[in-house]
Amino acid sequence: MTERYKEQTGHDEYLWQGSGEPEAEIQRLEQALEEFRATSLVPPAFPIVDCAPRRSSWWRTITSSTWVLRFSAATLILAAFIIALVVSWREPTSPRGNNGWSVELAEAQADNSLTAGKPKRKIRMQIGEAFETNRISRANVAVADIGRLELEPMTRLRLLQSTAGRKRIALDHGTIHVVIWAPPGEFVVDTPSAVAVDLGCMYTLKTEENGNGLLRTTLGWVGFQRNGHESFIPAGAAAATYARSGPGLPFFEDTSEMFRSAVSQFDTAKEGSAQRVAAQQVMLREARPRDELTLWHLLSRVSEFDRQAVYERLSALIPPPANTTREGILRLDRTMLDSWWNALDLGDIGLWRHWERSWTGHEAQQK
Amino acid sequence: MRSTLDFGPRVLEHLLVTEAQAGLDNSDATFVRAAQQGDTEAFGQLYRRYARMVHGILLGRVRHVEVEDLVQEVFLRALPRVRELRDTSRFGSWLAAIARNLAVDHYRRSQIRPERPDDVCDPDEQPAKFNVSSNRKAAEVLECIRSLPDAYRETLILRLVEGMTGPEIAAKTGLSPGSVRVNLHRGMNQLRQKLAHGELRDAGVSKNRIVA
Repeated sequence: MTERYKEQTGHDEYLWQGSGEPEAEIQRLEQALEEFRATSLVPPAFPIVDCAPRRSSWWRTITSSTWVLRFSAATLILAAFIIALVVSWREPTSPRGNNGWSVELAEAQADNSLTAGKPKRKIRMQIGEAFETNRISRANVAVADIGRLELEPMTRLRLLQSTAGRKRIALDHGTIHVVIWAPPGEFVVDTPSAVAVDLGCMYTLKTEENGNGLLRTTLGWVGFQRNGHESFIPAGAAAATYARSGPGLPFFEDTSEMFRSAVSQFDTAKEGSAQRVAAQQVMLREARPRDELTLWHLLSRVSEFDRQAVYERLSALIPPPANTTREGILRLDRTMLDSWWNALDLGDIGLWRHWERSWTGHEAQQK
Repeated sequence: MRSTLDFGPRVLEHLLVTEAQAGLDNSDATFVRAAQQGDTEAFGQLYRRYARMVHGILLGRVRHVEVEDLVQEVFLRALPRVRELRDTSRFGSWLAAIARNLAVDHYRRSQIRPERPDDVCDPDEQPAKFNVSSNRKAAEVLECIRSLPDAYRETLILRLVEGMTGPEIAAKTGLSPGSVRVNLHRGMNQLRQKLAHGELRDAGVSKNRIVA
């Protein structure tokens, strides 16, 4: 009887079940190793832990329910859609089709608030044109018929493309607030250090003169990408981007200060440096369950040796799905990583992969 | 502050016993749900059910003398976080992950390598109590198992040291029975090869047979 036959057909009952005809060799091993067996199975006196839902905070109660969150998100999306419809009905002059975008220029408020002053003038921005606000101006831009942008003072953007299924701008510097109600993947912003892809539907993107930037998502989620280096930023999270290295690790903004500093240090330290390793250790130590977002991204940004520790920590926060293996994750099998991402319940990565395929095709067309 | 249970732990225990007698749900998930409500008695039941698994996982990675303390530390780490476990049926795999993670943390603290390179079976790191000849043999066998790849090492220790059966290992760790069976079989083959290659220095071992 070959070993493979035994393995496949299960003719190893004693090893498997501890029953059937005893195998002398295994029995001797069991006897030899018995002294290492756990001797005490009596539980210690566990401290009483307050595990009750924290009803003192209505916000915690609301956010502790995934269904309530989903319902709230759906309601907000619906509200945004209705508002967009109303706005488009009230503004018959707003652009339809592909003939440039309408821009409303206004004076900035003294407190630089989001509510712009009275509209001063309207212009149209054509494809290939750039538009820039100065120190005292703000602007509202209608993104064809799929959304709106608000430009803060000292912001410069260029309109690169406005076709069915793809709207694309370049943010050279400054800050934009984005609300998009198009299907995921349709609205794309190029920055000097990364490409931001709307996966629905509200976020703020800031780019400094030196090319570094920050993206904060309010609703839905946003993908950040450069040269295959990708970060996903769900609602409540943010991620920096760097001219030198591209998108940084995303993190939830309610994380601890220590964790946040470690993320920043990891993003900016040189690869393989002691600072980077130290930051990584702090993240593993300080991570809360919600910080699984950051640890999932960390998996693909550390050395193979360090990846094992990240895997263990992330597994403790959220067990990997049944269709993944440790070995597969450690060798960065994309299907398995995607499957684990979906288990985080922060957005369906299928949307991103769909965009990625269309984007590659789009770039190929341009070449 | 005690959690908001509708019934106290004693009542819960009574209910569970009654359910078991009636052939109703006495699964781990019942205890997990109670523990999530802050019931330390229910968590104690989970300790009794899973301590052996945790012990085995740790034994594959840290020194034997440190394992007992670390078992308790694993459960103490798990206790305040059990409420965050979304799928109660995955308690075992969740706890196993905490145990592996703790072993890594422990390694970082103590700067002792948790994983040994293949083909190295060195029992010298074992505590003094294994200096007796027969104990030394056992320590050497354990070291050989610890030099196996992760999946084989863990499964073999749970089977040969902790005395768990294959189906029990699968149920507790969340691995599929097929994976456990393959790990046991292949792990055993690799162990035989290591022992046969004379890595066990004691004369009591001949070819692929060990004389304990």
